[in-house]
Amino acid sequence: MITNNFTPLENNGKNKPQTKITAPSLTGFIAKIEGHGSLKIDWDKNSVKLHVDEGERLFEGILVGRPAEEAHWITSRICGVCPIAHNLASLNAVENALGIKISETSKLLRDLMQCGQMIQSHVLHLFFLALPDYIGLDRGTELVKKEPKLFKQALTLKEMADEIAYVIAGRNVHPTTTTIGGFHKAPSKKDLEKLLEKLNMAEEAVEQTLNFFSGLQYPELKVDLELVSLQDGKIVSNKNKSVPIEEYKQNIEEELRDYSTAKFGKFQNREIMVGALARLSFKENKYNLDFSNPFYNNLAQAIEISEFHKKAIKIIEKLLSMEPKNDIAAPVENPSLKGIGTIEAPRGGLYHEIHLDDKQNIIYANIITPTVQNLTSIEKSAQALLEQTKNFENKRRGELLNMLVRAYDPCITCSVH
Amino acid sequence: MEKPKIAIYDFTDCEGCEVKLISLREKLLLLEKKVEIVNWRLGQEKFEPGPYDLTIIEGTPITPEEVKLLKELRENSKILVALGACAGLGGIPAMMPEKDRKMWYEKIYTSQYHPRGIDAVPLSAHVSVDFIIHGCPVDEDEVLNAIECILSNKKPNYRDYSVCYDCKLANNVCRLLNDKQCLGPITQGGCKAICVSGGSPCYGCFGIREEANISALKKIFDPVELLKMFHTKTKL
Repeated sequence: MITNNFTPLENNGKNKPQTKITAPSLTGFIAKIEGHGSLKIDWDKNSVKLHVDEGERLFEGILVGRPAEEAHWITSRICGVCPIAHNLASLNAVENALGIKISETSKLLRDLMQCGQMIQSHVLHLFFLALPDYIGLDRGTELVKKEPKLFKQALTLKEMADEIAYVIAGRNVHPTTTTIGGFHKAPSKKDLEKLLEKLNMAEEAVEQTLNFFSGLQYPELKVDLELVSLQDGKIVSNKNKSVPIEEYKQNIEEELRDYSTAKFGKFQNREIMVGALARLSFKENKYNLDFSNPFYNNLAQAIEISEFHKKAIKIIEKLLSMEPKNDIAAPVENPSLKGIGTIEAPRGGLYHEIHLDDKQNIIYANIITPTVQNLTSIEKSAQALLEQTKNFENKRRGELLNMLVRAYDPCITCSVH
Repeated sequence: MEKPKIAIYDFTDCEGCEVKLISLREKLLLLEKKVEIVNWRLGQEKFEPGPYDLTIIEGTPITPEEVKLLKELRENSKILVALGACAGLGGIPAMMPEKDRKMWYEKIYTSQYHPRGIDAVPLSAHVSVDFIIHGCPVDEDEVLNAIECILSNKKPNYRDYSVCYDCKLANNVCRLLNDKQCLGPITQGGCKAICVSGGSPCYGCFGIREEANISALKKIFDPVELLKMFHTKTKL
């Protein structure tokens, strides 16, 4: 029921609270991560489990029976932090099912959307969720007093990334312009020029953010991490043989845990870490990233902000130099109707598989998110942290465990979906 | 005078409406000066167990724990506001019919799994809601408008015009005139017609407007399928 008699705050004496909130699920959640998870630590046994308590939305079921054109509209709502990644993965899956090859312009515009997505998500995580741990604050906005210059730069980056999403995707959260085969609406030359100006103006903020995060002291931890990312149609590991994306289902197993509504993923039965640190492990290590310490994922994100900022500028310059044609590509005759769509989302490799009937209605959907793959690694690293901090006070160890979970930037919402 | 105590909670959802709160940027800082945010899991560790002057809730209550918490929050809050389509209308999660959940749990998780969720419904299915800030996701200006009204002891109002009005302001070509489906005429405005401006249909995430002429729209096309997106579990 929606109340019709709205009582203003000052006269509102009703519900003089008699009780305090007692719901047991209320206090245990890890703050400053996306979604609802908690760490259950057994100090005596020196063991730790990551409980996931998010409700199941059953997206793979919601999609079945709906038209293909709604897939990217619905799946972007899996996650408000990385909606563009889900949007593009679904489009990619449906286009593969229909044998559609998108135009060069559409491809560039989508790559640009992805740059915006990476920066949006990394900025949100670094400044509002992770950084407070490092400088003794609670809420990210308190930075405005302690580090006013840095906070201003955070806002500049957020604004710049949101602007990419607005101009190309139609909105900062949940795209409106994308469709099967291309774009409903593409930005004008003038829009792109203005966007380029905004990106150029953010350069100082990008650099200083990178400097700041390069100078932070990351907690010590040594974990035997296997890092995995998607490259050129392959799932690539820093320790083992790579496999083609088409074989994702045979290689990424999802296990049930009785303490979690999210499945726990493994790659060929091993724990893997995906995301910014994993992606950078395949590139030149200019910033002394420690690839056996997951806390360095924070620095990796700051580096990626700079990389995707540069990439976005290049894409816009390319778009401005050509005659962009916004045409929506059509399906081929007799398509396979089965498609896999993948993308490197901010938190790592994202897989959407969609099957259609001949009327282009969805008959099957499978989604594996980056956080599903990371959950298993988070537990492994948390266990390593417990073992390597035995001489610390438990309070400090608890804080470090929360920081570690945050460093992975888990998206619990995505992991349950 | 003591600052009003605000609590921000999220149930099961995508958290995109909270991302919109952070996207307020400088305006969020101004707002923070007028209030005390005593609980916001996504934004801070600090937590006070109530009572709250204003509780803003995002997401649908799906699990029994969420329903219990929602009822306690209602008891402990002077004003309770639903933030976004999931809290206000049930949103995308409500597209899953309750009777189908068992089948999908088995298909997605296998029969070994012990499900937590019961049914995704809007907040108003369990408690009284004082105001809904509509949208999937919410619009930043609508959020500010509603909160500022509440802080100055005014009743925030629902928009008494349809998305068509927003569309005119945005200079959009009417979708219906081009034989494209759209729920704009029966949907409450305030969204700046952002989806139609991007080339997508209006799926009605701002809720059905008062005195909507649904039968007239039915003469043009059958809106039933489009309405499923956000209105499966709301009464029309």
